[in-house]
Amino acid sequence: MSAAEQRLEDILNNDIWDVDPNPHITVDSEKCKNCNTKPCIRLCPAGCYTMSEKTLVFSYEGCVECGTCRVVCPLEAIHWEFPKSGRGIYFRFS
Amino acid sequence: MAEIPNKFDVIVIGAGPAGSASAYYLATKGFKVLMLERGRSPGSKNVFGGRVYVAPLREIFSDFEKTAPIHRWVTRERMSFMYGNELVSLDYEGNDHKSFTTYLSQLVAWMALKAETAGVSIVNDITVTGLLKEGNKVIGIKSGNESVKADVVIDAEGVNRLVLESAGTVPPLKPSNVALGVKEVVKVNPEVLANEFGLGDGEGMAWSLMGDVTSGLPGGGFIYTNKDSVSIGLVMLLDNAISGANDEVYRYVERLKAHPKLNKYFKDSRIMEYSAHLIPEDVWSLRPPKLAYDGLLIAGDAAGFLLNLGYTYRGVDFAAYSGYLAGKAIEQAHELGGMSAINLAAYPKLLDQSFIMKNLKRFNGTNKLMHNRRLFTAYPAMMVSLMKRIYSLDYESQKIFNTVLASAKENGVGPFTLISDGIEVIRYL
Amino acid sequence: MGLNIILLFKYVPNTNTVNVDPNTGTLVREGVPSVVNPHDLDAAELALELREKYGGKITAMIMAPPNAMKGIEFLMGMGVDEGVLITDRAYGGADTLATSYVLAAGIRTIEHYDLIITGQETLDSSTAHIGAQLASWLKLPYVYYVTEASLNDGTLIVKRQLESYTEKYRVKLPALITVLMHSHQPRPVTLENKLRAVIKKPIKMLTNNDLKLNIMCTGLRGSPTVVAKTEFIAKIPRKKEILKDKSPQETAAWLLSKLKEEGFLN
Ligand SMILES: Cc1cc2nc3c(=O)[nH]c(=O)nc-3n(C[C@H](O)[C@H](O)[C@H](O)COP(=O)(O)OP(=O)(O)OC[C@H]3O[C@@H](n4cnc5c(N)ncnc54)[C@H](O)[C@@H]3O)c2cc1C
Ligand SMILES: Cc1cc2nc3c(=O)[nH]c(=O)nc-3n(C[C@H](O)[C@H](O)[C@H](O)COP(=O)(O)OP(=O)(O)OC[C@H]3O[C@@H](n4cnc5c(N)ncnc54)[C@H](O)[C@@H]3O)c2cc1C
Ligand code: SF4
Ligand code: SF4
Repeated sequence: MSAAEQRLEDILNNDIWDVDPNPHITVDSEKCKNCNTKPCIRLCPAGCYTMSEKTLVFSYEGCVECGTCRVVCPLEAIHWEFPKSGRGIYFRFS
Repeated sequence: MAEIPNKFDVIVIGAGPAGSASAYYLATKGFKVLMLERGRSPGSKNVFGGRVYVAPLREIFSDFEKTAPIHRWVTRERMSFMYGNELVSLDYEGNDHKSFTTYLSQLVAWMALKAETAGVSIVNDITVTGLLKEGNKVIGIKSGNESVKADVVIDAEGVNRLVLESAGTVPPLKPSNVALGVKEVVKVNPEVLANEFGLGDGEGMAWSLMGDVTSGLPGGGFIYTNKDSVSIGLVMLLDNAISGANDEVYRYVERLKAHPKLNKYFKDSRIMEYSAHLIPEDVWSLRPPKLAYDGLLIAGDAAGFLLNLGYTYRGVDFAAYSGYLAGKAIEQAHELGGMSAINLAAYPKLLDQSFIMKNLKRFNGTNKLMHNRRLFTAYPAMMVSLMKRIYSLDYESQKIFNTVLASAKENGVGPFTLISDGIEVIRYL
Repeated sequence: MGLNIILLFKYVPNTNTVNVDPNTGTLVREGVPSVVNPHDLDAAELALELREKYGGKITAMIMAPPNAMKGIEFLMGMGVDEGVLITDRAYGGADTLATSYVLAAGIRTIEHYDLIITGQETLDSSTAHIGAQLASWLKLPYVYYVTEASLNDGTLIVKRQLESYTEKYRVKLPALITVLMHSHQPRPVTLENKLRAVIKKPIKMLTNNDLKLNIMCTGLRGSPTVVAKTEFIAKIPRKKEILKDKSPQETAAWLLSKLKEEGFLN
């Protein structure tokens, strides 16, 4: 079954962004050190949250602006805004 | 603060179904309307599952069917219960044109264009960041350190209510308020749609999937057939997903596509787009304290106007119709002499009389039902084992009643639970 | 006085994600939205900074199909004053020569200009021809890879960035400069500017009725360039592997063995 599964990077490659030079979301990774469950990692549909060694790494470029991380973060570690100037994800077939 | 040369009769926040419908209606009635959209163009930030009920849209846009981007009319409804590699399906075939499939991005672009043609000024690329107030009265909107004034503002910003939250009108979203929808649109050869789905020209299928789809988490999957593509995705309640999702959410969609009973539809197919969006789930707790304030009306997802029927969502037509009613209420308030909360009180009244509130009240409780985990784990498993007992036999046939009880027992559901859940389902649906 | 600036830009498919259909091997173009060529935003930013310092006016100009109006609106949202859209069926299918020929004619319709600013190159063709060709059509002094510009006693002082050094030029106006990509951070669109663009629409359209060019010199007919063949380079699937918590020695040995395995070393 899993043979047909695609990697997230390849799935996301079909989307179109005009990436904002300034991140629209910032994460206070100091707070993440105290976060045991780290729901953002599993629930971000764009895989923007990953662990590198023992620190949480966030990259905003592939964000699809769903707002999930903003809602699930238990420690208010996330500063969340929409991208400026119409930038960010551009849906055409959704 | 930068000086802006214009003041408007109405400002609409967000060019989604709710915003575009309200702006369109008001412009046709001669109001000077400004609609602000954070995306590069209307439709570029909108996501839904795949099917829209047409009647309300036909009422708002009289020529709807002639020019709207309708992909296929839903003539086949299918509901499947999945367990392991097997599934049990209920099929309905009709031929009335009650709902159609489309891309929301296209539908919203169409609606916004109707509004623009009717005279609405649409400003893209601008995110509204707050409401401009004079005392308790809303007199316009803010975007960063800029602002524009209007007699009345319609907030149609959708489920991520950053504006209403910043104004203190609603509290921040909680995981229990919303569900997460993740979706892929996959290019599928029209021949596959004809042969594998059995669809004729312009005919479409709406297919809801329950059971193993979300690894037993409350939620479910959906498949909609478009002109030459298929939308496939799933929805999971966020509070359950926090504790229960043990894998990255995108993988659930990929696994659904790869399911042995579904993968034949997606052979050699190419993903056209991947998207995700939140959905109002507990619509009553999402409801703002009021729908009409001095100088402010709230419509669409931002007001929690979405009907979850368990097997399908109705959000687009609800949003559009609530925007349309907001327009009507503003028209009436204008005749009464101003946009005070008292004059705008027609809005909640119109909503109460409409199918929106009637349906929401009638189905009040599906949310509770959706949290019943057995619906997503034990029952689909039970359906599958039931069918297996009935059909997959070597010699001896079984009596159906015994079979039900046996498969219930097999799946850890006692007879009383079975009955009480059954009553609950019947009551709410 | 103030500077009258013409800002040239192109409206290009947003190809930051180049997508090839795995079955047909062709570029997926369906529904790809257009954006202002990102490298032209550097040029726009420099133009806006100059106007802030010296006053004047910025006119954005493009030769393109009518949907490029949205591109002018975007630049106006950043603060550009007005736009000129040159559009005519007779201009379709142009290569760089035919494009610069038409743009030169469009620029000549503008009574007074001091400075023409273009981006370094485009996202979709990247020839970097237009600036140089225009300068020669209009017989203007031309500096490319510009990172900074200022005025001194009516002449333009520009800094030009080359690989390992910078040059400084003094240029007589009117002049044409091409701005180095990634040299500026474009400012966000503002509500007031966007409103002005949408409501006042200070955008002029020019067609061949206005420019009266010989159509044998425009569009496809005026384009000597022939694209002989386009080849797609097959995408190489990545084989990501992560080695964790090993000593530097072990890591190096592992890397070495991997490179050998892949045939990069022997
Ligand atoms: C996965 C999923 C499946 C669904 N399936 C269906 C279905 O099959 N059928 C159905 O009818 N409904 C479905 N729905 C529900 C439906 O999509 C929504 O109810 C509907 O889109 C709500 O419309 P709206 O106008 O209120 O909000 P949205 O569609 O969310 O529009 C809001 C608009 O406002 C803009 N905006 C937001 N904030 C700002 C701001 N601060 N400033 C400027 N602009 C802003 C946004 O960019 C957006 O364009 C589904 C939803 C999801 C997520
Ligand atoms: C070999 C070849 C064949 C081509 N064949 C065709 C064809 O058949 N049909 C077709 O439509 N196109 C064709 N093109 C594309 C088209 O010729 C060029 O894109 C266009 O002439 C501009 O060149 P460029 O994009 O390389 O711009 P560059 O020279 O890289 O651009 C430099 C700067 O010039 C300015 N500029 C560029 N284009 C414009 C414009 N249109 N208006 C205003 N300012 C501008 C911008 O500021 C830009 O940053 C072809 C290109 C090449 C290289
Ligand atoms: S959920 Fe919040 S606090 Fe926890 S890891 Fe993620 S961002 Fe950090
Ligand atoms: S908004 Fe959605 S896509 Fe973006 S980072 Fe948060 S969870 Fe991921």
